[in-house]
Amino acid sequence: MDNLREIISYLKGKKVRFADAREHLFREREIATEDTRVEQITEQNVSGVGIKVLYENGWGYASTSAVDLDSLRRTADKALSLARYADSSAAGKVELAAEPKHVAKFATKIKEDPFLVDMSDAAGVLIQAGETILKGKDIIKAGSYLVLRNIKKKYANTEDSLIETDVFTILPQIEATAKANGEVKSRHYWPAPMNAGYEYFRGLDFRANAERIAAQAREHCFARSCESGPATLILDPEHLALTMHESVGHPTELDRVLGYEESCAGRSFATMDKLNTFKYGSEIVNLVADNTLEGGLASCGYDDEGVECQKWHIVKDGILSGYVVNRELAHRMKMPRANGTTRATKYSDVPITRMPNLYLAPGGKPLTAEELIADTEDGIYIEGMGSFSIDQMRLNMQFGGDAFWEIKKGKLTGMLKNVVYNAISYEFWRSCDAIADERAFKRAGFITCGKGDPMQAAQMTHGASPARFRNIMVRRAK
Amino acid sequence: MMNKTNLILEKILKEPVTDHVVLSYEKAETHHIRFSNNSVNRENLFKLDEEVKAEVGYEGRTGAYKTNDLSEDGIKYAVKKAYEAAKLLPKDPEYMPPVTTEEARATKNFKPVFGEFTEEKKYGILRDAFGELKKAGLNSAGSLSTNPYTVAVYNNKGVRACHSNCYSVFSLTAMTGNSSFKDAHFSKDFSGYDGKAFVSDIIAKTRLSKDPAPLEPGKYTVVLSPSAVEELLMAFLWYNMDAKAIDEGRSALSKRPGARIADEAIHIYSRPDHEKSSLFPFSAGDAMPYIDFDMIRDGKLASPWYSRFYAGKKGVRATGRAPGSVIFKGTEKPLDTLISGVENGLYVNSFWYIRLVDLMDGIFTGMTRDGLFRIKDGKLAGSVNNFRFNQSVFDLLLNTAEIGKEKSMVFTSIPPITVKDFNFVSKTEF
Repeated sequence: MDNLREIISYLKGKKVRFADAREHLFREREIATEDTRVEQITEQNVSGVGIKVLYENGWGYASTSAVDLDSLRRTADKALSLARYADSSAAGKVELAAEPKHVAKFATKIKEDPFLVDMSDAAGVLIQAGETILKGKDIIKAGSYLVLRNIKKKYANTEDSLIETDVFTILPQIEATAKANGEVKSRHYWPAPMNAGYEYFRGLDFRANAERIAAQAREHCFARSCESGPATLILDPEHLALTMHESVGHPTELDRVLGYEESCAGRSFATMDKLNTFKYGSEIVNLVADNTLEGGLASCGYDDEGVECQKWHIVKDGILSGYVVNRELAHRMKMPRANGTTRATKYSDVPITRMPNLYLAPGGKPLTAEELIADTEDGIYIEGMGSFSIDQMRLNMQFGGDAFWEIKKGKLTGMLKNVVYNAISYEFWRSCDAIADERAFKRAGFITCGKGDPMQAAQMTHGASPARFRNIMVRRAK
Repeated sequence: MMNKTNLILEKILKEPVTDHVVLSYEKAETHHIRFSNNSVNRENLFKLDEEVKAEVGYEGRTGAYKTNDLSEDGIKYAVKKAYEAAKLLPKDPEYMPPVTTEEARATKNFKPVFGEFTEEKKYGILRDAFGELKKAGLNSAGSLSTNPYTVAVYNNKGVRACHSNCYSVFSLTAMTGNSSFKDAHFSKDFSGYDGKAFVSDIIAKTRLSKDPAPLEPGKYTVVLSPSAVEELLMAFLWYNMDAKAIDEGRSALSKRPGARIADEAIHIYSRPDHEKSSLFPFSAGDAMPYIDFDMIRDGKLASPWYSRFYAGKKGVRATGRAPGSVIFKGTEKPLDTLISGVENGLYVNSFWYIRLVDLMDGIFTGMTRDGLFRIKDGKLAGSVNNFRFNQSVFDLLLNTAEIGKEKSMVFTSIPPITVKDFNFVSKTEF
């Protein structure tokens, strides 16, 4: 931390308006298996310092893998030089929202450091899962993927904040592929990725789930095609993770809303004039952003511009109620403070506005997942994630899934295939007429959310209880 | 290559920990300037990424470790960790020893020529573009980047492969209040960049895109721009071309052995020493040379992609798990000629968010973006609302009626094409 403080002091002497320095270690172990072989096992340990400078109204960013003072000074000078060039084309005054000075530490609560466990342990579990899958009838392929990640950061800025964070992440998944009846279908087991220690991985039941997905992959091959037309859908939490990510999380990032992301990720229909008035969903829809969620993938204590993580509503009682806002854009919303969501993937990446942990709040009335299905005369129950696509304004969306069941007279009556549904995002959320209660709440999440230019991958948790949507256009995939 | 790192790699390889040590070095020096609202107000960064990946094999197992600590201790630690990982693993039935000098001899080395970049030149390109766009009353967003890089792969079998290259991109989206148009200029170093022509064409097309007219989805004859073809074609190839997956029945091509899958005029191939559209002449993972090979020719699959292991098993040449470049052979017909050949159809400038819908039939979905124009009587006649498509790529390749002149992009060279009966299934609100 001493060198970071030193370089901040150096930049203060250069009359910058704001600067921060972030020492950032990215450590990751990946294991991929194919059938009963380890297809890939790699580890990376990449670290360095990124320095961000605001000179007048221009931003510059430069990074170095060397942490000695001479290298940091050269890097700071480079960032300042780039900021001066940016200032020459500045469109307006940059105003940063205030943030209290933080001298703080944050760490994921873990019992067992994943990087102190032999790789052979996880590889053995995944290969065993592969063996179980391959015993399934008509199975032609088993696969798995495991990511263990640790990100350590030290952060200092010209407002005298000094922050250290230490975050551990685990993402496991296994896959079965069956070939039968002229079809090839895959089924996955995606336990929720978590900020957690290795004890989380140890607690997962791969054997039972391997048997289940092998059987369901085969069953999918014999499923009948869905009918095209308007239908009632019940979506499980894993599936809803993806829909809320694409149709609520991204459109409410304020940088997108204001056109800053136009050239890559796109813009948003959820413009600021709609705040607190726009009916984003039905009255039972509450979507909550929460970077204080314990074990949440985006829960990191403090973000990469020194702002404390927070919790707030994006959609409250169906109404658009909030955005994801960084320090530079907070004043556009007349917000006194950013909401702690600016993150960078590695030391050489510029921190940008990233989606927080975002979940659909459970329904307020007692309702189990089973009761929700029993209350549905005719429909489709969709589990897991499949094909997904949405336009650059986040309106026209089309989703598939990992598995589909027909609902008839309140019962699941067999699998369907070739299901995709297509909707305008806010019409989709307005059609939500029931959400199971907190007993059915589950988490899911992603570690590969792409945004920025150059592209960066970020991680965030989602969660939901199963929810029902009426009159959604279903199409046969083929 | 980097002298100091070079010496360290050589020193480690002189006394390898096993008979399988591969050290891959990558250096990327990126200056990336991003802008929106006609102002450099986003990522404006310089980064120098230098990393070494150590791969160590041990009795039929392989471990790997990547670090950006390029000190001797740092690289030795990476080798140690890779070795430890290898020792812990079960034997790999698809284990492959390091590439030999005999195998590496086939490398088609080439020496790209590119010049120095000054910051004044780069920011000057942007300043000029912003000026023209403001005069035209248009907003803009995009990025300009220069990306010189070096890749080197050394192993204990004597292979010393090294390649330096560069790509530069100026991607510009211009906007009216209710529409947008995007184009990108690709080159090594902007030496052939004609700013006036590039920006004025974007301004003209952006103005034409204003006030999109409502149009219903359906099947249309479309002219697809090179970038639109690239996005869809690369998704299709990525999912379907692996030879092992084809043989195991996990690819759309598994169902179509020997079948006609494209119009006979379509020729898609790889050329590792392509002057403009090749990044490396060898795999950055193991130094295995990329080779010249046809993927689709005379309407049929010519060759899928073979990993080194699977090529050995099948007795064919390895192409790499993914090729070094993808070339869709073009003609001399400019884009305007293709448009003039369509009486009633659409010009698609760009696709967005392409995803697989059905693997075994090669069906993909996605949206149009940044320029969807009506073609009437061989001319662009204003823009229309954007559509979603659900399209079989086999149908697209079979329904290709015209092929235009190639445009070189980062590692592809692709022409615009005219396609009949392109399947748009729904529209959006803009």
